[in-house]
Amino acid sequence: MPSEKQVIALCGRVGKILLENGAETGRVESTVEYIGAAAGVPISCHAEMTAIFVDADTDTATHLIKVRTKDFNLRQVDRINSLSRAFTSGTIDYATLESRLTTIESSRRDYSWPQKILGAGLVSVAPMLVFQATWADLGLAFFVGIGGYLASQWLGRRTTTPYISIGLGGMVIGLLATLLQRLGVATSADNIIISALMPLVPGVAITNSLRELIARHTISGLVRAMDAIMVAGAIGAGVVVGSACVSLLLGGAL
Amino acid sequence: MRLLIELVVSFASTIGFGIITNIPKRTLLPAGITGSLAWVVYVVVAGQTPNMILPNLLAATTIGLLANVAAIWVKAPVNVMYIPSLVSLVPGAIIYMSMKNFTLGRETAAQAGLVKTLSIAIGLAVGFVIAEAIFKPIRRPLRHWFEARR
Repeated sequence: MPSEKQVIALCGRVGKILLENGAETGRVESTVEYIGAAAGVPISCHAEMTAIFVDADTDTATHLIKVRTKDFNLRQVDRINSLSRAFTSGTIDYATLESRLTTIESSRRDYSWPQKILGAGLVSVAPMLVFQATWADLGLAFFVGIGGYLASQWLGRRTTTPYISIGLGGMVIGLLATLLQRLGVATSADNIIISALMPLVPGVAITNSLRELIARHTISGLVRAMDAIMVAGAIGAGVVVGSACVSLLLGGAL
Repeated sequence: MRLLIELVVSFASTIGFGIITNIPKRTLLPAGITGSLAWVVYVVVAGQTPNMILPNLLAATTIGLLANVAAIWVKAPVNVMYIPSLVSLVPGAIIYMSMKNFTLGRETAAQAGLVKTLSIAIGLAVGFVIAEAIFKPIRRPLRHWFEARR
């Protein structure tokens, strides 16, 4: 049998992966507690957006794990979920759980770049605009959206400053869309911008914020909502700067 | 015909967002179906009423119910379905327009946009609450049913 300390440490690692990759705090808490119970140590877990507390009910020791959310990767959440199901149902033992957890921590499975680029393009054709924008504009939005997505991913890998990569994505979109309109290729820059912004829009943050608020995890819900507003602000500022650049270069009203 | 186009576009957009947020391959199809059906519900209801909240509420209820069923079916966390399905409904475009008005100094339009965002968000949240409330009593029997068929 693993010692109490080992179980607490392992539960902390599980919680960290879940929270970092976009699981709601309620799920983090229940998963950690299930694993603890299945390992024979009754555990209380309290998860907040910035930290997880794991505590064994029989002992005074509390484990605190700091979490900084960055890139969401829902596949990690799914892998941990399957792992904890297998462990709580007794299919795998504690040693296997630990080794598989290490595998999940070290390897991030991902879609290939061509698949991601295609995905970003597909999201960029917003259903909201299908009968409002012209089909040509939506076609352009497909490529503008890919440009914005790639720009934000590129910068996101090079900087740790929050919000700036998403702002660059917005800027590229604003730049391309306004340029296309000025050159007479596109009918409406605004429609292209709104459509092409879809890959950057803080969908995960807004969805999770709603779910946290419903589940009465009010603090986490508000943190996520504020984060969504900040992201939207960064996108908005980026787009305005991008359009302004084109206007400055080609002349005309800002 | 019109609905069919809406269905296809929203399906593609849900799958696309699923790929970007990196959901597992086996969940792409159920997420896409959930997202596209919810969008059709939204379009149909929005065509009947000028109200902003009702279409969002019913679409969110659709997502809530279908995503929970799909989560049991493919054995995945519900969030994995929720996030891509919501991408067309989440008021991202309105938040952006309102933030843009903010940066251009049009405060009234900016405030109107924020309030609109809030009302849509409330509509979606209430829809989810309804879905969760409906689903709670049928979750366990449904899980047994799926397990018995496997």
